[in-house]
Amino acid sequence: MIKILFFARLQEEIGKDSLNIEKAGLTVDQLKQWLEKEHGLQSLDQTMAAVNEDYADGSEVLKEGDTVALIPPVSGG
Amino acid sequence: MDTRYSRQELFSGIGKEGQKRLQEKHVLVLGAGALGSASAETLVRAGVGTLTIIDRDFVEWSNLHRQQLYTEADAEHNHPKAIAAKERLQSINKDTTVKAYVLDAKADNLKKLVQDADVVIDGSDNFDIRFIINDLSQKYRVPWIFGAFAGSFGMSYTFLPEKTPCLQCILSTIPSSSMSCETSGIIAPAVQMTSAHQTTEALKILTNQEESLRGTLLLFDVWNTQQQSIRTDKIKKTDCPSCGKERTYPYLVHEQDTKLEVLCGRNTVQIRPSEKKEYDFNTLASELKQHGNVRKNSYILICTLSDCRLAIFQDGRVLIHGTKEIDKAKHLYHRFIAKEKE
Repeated sequence: MIKILFFARLQEEIGKDSLNIEKAGLTVDQLKQWLEKEHGLQSLDQTMAAVNEDYADGSEVLKEGDTVALIPPVSGG
Repeated sequence: MDTRYSRQELFSGIGKEGQKRLQEKHVLVLGAGALGSASAETLVRAGVGTLTIIDRDFVEWSNLHRQQLYTEADAEHNHPKAIAAKERLQSINKDTTVKAYVLDAKADNLKKLVQDADVVIDGSDNFDIRFIINDLSQKYRVPWIFGAFAGSFGMSYTFLPEKTPCLQCILSTIPSSSMSCETSGIIAPAVQMTSAHQTTEALKILTNQEESLRGTLLLFDVWNTQQQSIRTDKIKKTDCPSCGKERTYPYLVHEQDTKLEVLCGRNTVQIRPSEKKEYDFNTLASELKQHGNVRKNSYILICTLSDCRLAIFQDGRVLIHGTKEIDKAKHLYHRFIAKEKE
């Protein structure tokens, strides 16, 4: 099981702040594509990701028990 | 006996030595909106020696719920934020030298300001300027403290040249406008939380305690009480164009002197003349009075037309509120403001 945490607009789009899924083995990029397709999220191209509180690039492979945070950049100041 | 900073000096992280250092330092606050207001107030109260604050905008009623330096009178009279901020900050602490500029920040006019600063606090509202700050920070080796928010969510990171990854390492491209516009509103506590993290890091830098810096990309949601503190050790890129070995500072080299710019998420177009202009506000006011209500102070003239509002700054910039269409904005600009020259 992988836990996905959603921040900012993603929370509003998906209607919750986290999701547990059985998707170990996917890369971060593949997970983003899956979410876009299955949950109708807008493009996650520019969304940053962290796995277990380590900044992660798109090629990182997700393992059982990982927590993935998806962070869209926000710009307000 | 001077007790002004006694409680701050009692805090072990600052002490009398730290206080003395603060009083010798210079902070640049880039932007005097919500974050800039909050951070500038904190640092001026803390007793920094010099604080420079810049902003291109003026105070409006929709700012007051979160931009803590401003009053109803500032909104009523459309005071430029930089000027209103300086007045308030100076009344809070006369010992801090407060410098304020009504300025549309660009690579060329920021260069000197960044070089003169010990730390830059990000109070901007767009990533175009943040990528320029990032390059200037790397080039002149001045740390900068990023902060941004939307809704109840905020984030912050402290960029230390030669040590941490830079903005370009974290975000390889400027986020597109659809993701970076302030479309989800904002509550003041998210501003204060973001600013609290920025100013805490600034206090460490200003008192020469880099070893105490957080070192992580911090994210938080004040409404849902979520937080992530993300390690960034692995992402510094040796081939980064802004902080790598063969750096080119792409946002300083390729900067375009944009004449027309749609201000993100605000239904406003900014027109910046390629040459600096100075208007005679009295003449302009009497002309524009035929077309709509006109108000002015010594920095800005505002003319309200039937479906748009023109805000003309002394430096020649014009903000056209009420449209996102560049052609319409251009048309209004030529019809009402730059007619004799074009």
